Amino acid sequence: MSSMNKNTVGRRTLSIAMLLLGTLAVIASLYLDAIKSGAGYRGALLIIGAVVILCGLYFYPTIMKHRAIINFIFLFPLLFAFVVTVIIPMILGIFYSFTDWNGVKFSKFVGFSNYSTMFKDPAFIWSILLTVLFVVVNMILVNVIGFLLALLCTNKLKGTGFFRAAYFLPNLIGGIVLGYIWQFIFSNVLVKMFSMKYSLLADTNTAFLAIIIVYVWQYAGYIMLIYITGLTTIPGDVLEAAAIDGANATTTLFRIKIPMIASTITICTFLTLTSAFKQFDVNMALTNGTGSMKFMGSVLSNGTQMLALNIYSTAISRSNYALGQAKAVLFFIILAAVSIIQVRISNSREVEL
Amino acid sequence: MKRALALTMAALTGASLLAVGAPATTAKAAGTEIRFLNNKVEIDEGLKKLAAAYEKETGVKVTIESLGGGVNTQSTLKGYYQAGNMPDIFVFEGDKDISTWDGLMVDMSDQDWVKDTDAAYTYNGGVYGFPITTEAIGLAYNKAVLDKAGIDPKSITGPESMKAAFETLDSKKDELGITAVVGYYTEPSALWWSTGQHMFASYLDEGLARDDSTYIDMMNADGGPTFDDKRMKDWATMVSLFNQYADQDNLISGTYDQQILNFASGKYAFVTQGSWIGSTIMNDDKDAYDAAGDFEIGMIPYAFEEGQDTILTNTPNWYGIYKDSPNVEAAEAFLNWCASNDGGQKYLVEDCGCVSPFKSCTYVADDPFAQTIIDYANAGKTSAWHWLGMPEGIGQNATGVVFNDFAKGTYDVDGFVAQLQQSIKDYYASKSTGS
Repeated sequence: MSSMNKNTVGRRTLSIAMLLLGTLAVIASLYLDAIKSGAGYRGALLIIGAVVILCGLYFYPTIMKHRAIINFIFLFPLLFAFVVTVIIPMILGIFYSFTDWNGVKFSKFVGFSNYSTMFKDPAFIWSILLTVLFVVVNMILVNVIGFLLALLCTNKLKGTGFFRAAYFLPNLIGGIVLGYIWQFIFSNVLVKMFSMKYSLLADTNTAFLAIIIVYVWQYAGYIMLIYITGLTTIPGDVLEAAAIDGANATTTLFRIKIPMIASTITICTFLTLTSAFKQFDVNMALTNGTGSMKFMGSVLSNGTQMLALNIYSTAISRSNYALGQAKAVLFFIILAAVSIIQVRISNSREVEL
Repeated sequence: MKRALALTMAALTGASLLAVGAPATTAKAAGTEIRFLNNKVEIDEGLKKLAAAYEKETGVKVTIESLGGGVNTQSTLKGYYQAGNMPDIFVFEGDKDISTWDGLMVDMSDQDWVKDTDAAYTYNGGVYGFPITTEAIGLAYNKAVLDKAGIDPKSITGPESMKAAFETLDSKKDELGITAVVGYYTEPSALWWSTGQHMFASYLDEGLARDDSTYIDMMNADGGPTFDDKRMKDWATMVSLFNQYADQDNLISGTYDQQILNFASGKYAFVTQGSWIGSTIMNDDKDAYDAAGDFEIGMIPYAFEEGQDTILTNTPNWYGIYKDSPNVEAAEAFLNWCASNDGGQKYLVEDCGCVSPFKSCTYVADDPFAQTIIDYANAGKTSAWHWLGMPEGIGQNATGVVFNDFAKGTYDVDGFVAQLQQSIKDYYASKSTGS
């Protein structure tokens, strides 16, 4: 008992010393940065200080709070990364959307004028409509095709392993690379094969179709893999019981398999919904958003430009970072709202089952 | 035991952080190193030779950082600025970028090299940009094919002679071994700059004196853009001639690589690109060019009205010095050295293929277009690039697709002119309201 006590005192001293030392190091490094000293060791000092503080916390002799402290220490790296890469940029982004920021500096606050401008811009409204259309079409197509492929690959046919790998493979190729490969196929191979006048990508309507084809091709394999996992978790005895009761393949599918994988369907719908909403790389590589389109009384040049790409091109190629930020804030709100609603609906349906 | 382990871990983490963090930061503190940000990957190797020579001569290390391959240099630079990681010398593209960097660049008016060139970038009475090369926009031709067809490029002086030459070439396609008369490509997602900026540039400047800014001034007028309808129609008639005699397989969706490769392989008599294709032909497409017999290449004006006899030459981008850099003086000294004939000019011209904008330079590049540009410049037959004064992104976001639609046959000449003017007006309007 007495040795424990001595140990505790020792630990307390050590812990407090480390906390003090760490705080000192952090303050010193921040001070060095604030006065722009340029000293090469300031970054290291900051991190060592932070690590020492965490060690101090770890050694702090308390039974009551120990678990909480450990939880905090283990969560800290994740929380820190989340705050630095998501929370802070989001707050800054919202802030910038009320200014005339050009990526380097801003001269004044403009209130809501960025927000009012973007809703008066036919090109942006077109991008929103196009994105919604794209999301709806893809959510259905990717899920249906992915599910059919999954049924095919869970059959007792020969070579299903090969087909699983083959269907999944496109998902392993990066979107930009894949976009350029398909651009070559559309512009050179298909044109010659069917002796078309010009590429599918050259016309706005067919270019949209082309983007859908490539997206489904890329994503269906991934969704298939999730459905396969779902289908293989259906207990064999249930299927056997159904078979004994005389259920044919169609009945088994609709009455047993689909209800049994309702949670998988939720996950897949959610995944395709958000990823189609965020579609960027294939869109950029295939058409870069170009395509002429008559809309709201003016001829647009961004016929195939989806929301994410519109935000990017507003900020980068049009060099209007503040407006881009305003659009990004709206994008975030839409995406968050859609995701929350979707999860709610799916959850309630699962409970009913 | 547990404590000892934890302490060791902490110490190790700290030590490894120190080890990782130290070299990058100490190098910055040394102070005699200049960081140079370039946006042309194709001259990266030449610039590194130049930097090595400078280090040998003066002991000052110059780090060349080249961005390219579709990277948007200016947005990368903005990121560098936000991160406090600005290079000492960086590239910018003239009028369209000046508002971003206004107040952040060093005024170089007092530098020696300024007296030796007309191509320095000036703004509000100060000199902010160092030029390294001159590029030309015009109708590039394959001399061997024209000779074989019996056409003298100098005889093409206006729309009639251009049309006649195109017809002759078209009728002898098989005999000449060409697939099309002109390599004109309009694909809007990646080649918008070729049509929306460079092809349009000939409307703005063809045949004008270097300081004549009539047509860009009409576009940038306070009350919204206006145009010279007759001039634009003449110009659009030339574009429709290109549409008609272009390589129909690639007119709508061909790529830059295909365009240059086909020209280098001798498949087109003309190509609607600028002098920068010289380095592509001499490097990437060297094999095809050799196989086609290393034909002589020249350039004629886009003469859409009789008597227009200038090609459009300009410095495409300039190098500025970051004001808050700790190495401003070293950077100024370096640029001065680059401008001198005994110093950097040798490397810029011979290794980077630049056409020197400095009068004292005696080197001539081994580039197919170098001599042509020098000849036009000496004869005083060059116009400027006033298209640089158009709002940022207009080719990519507004006019590029109009050229593409014109090529697809959506419009006739009048329809094309009307739509082009409308698209430009819309873009200006959206720019002024901020969208």
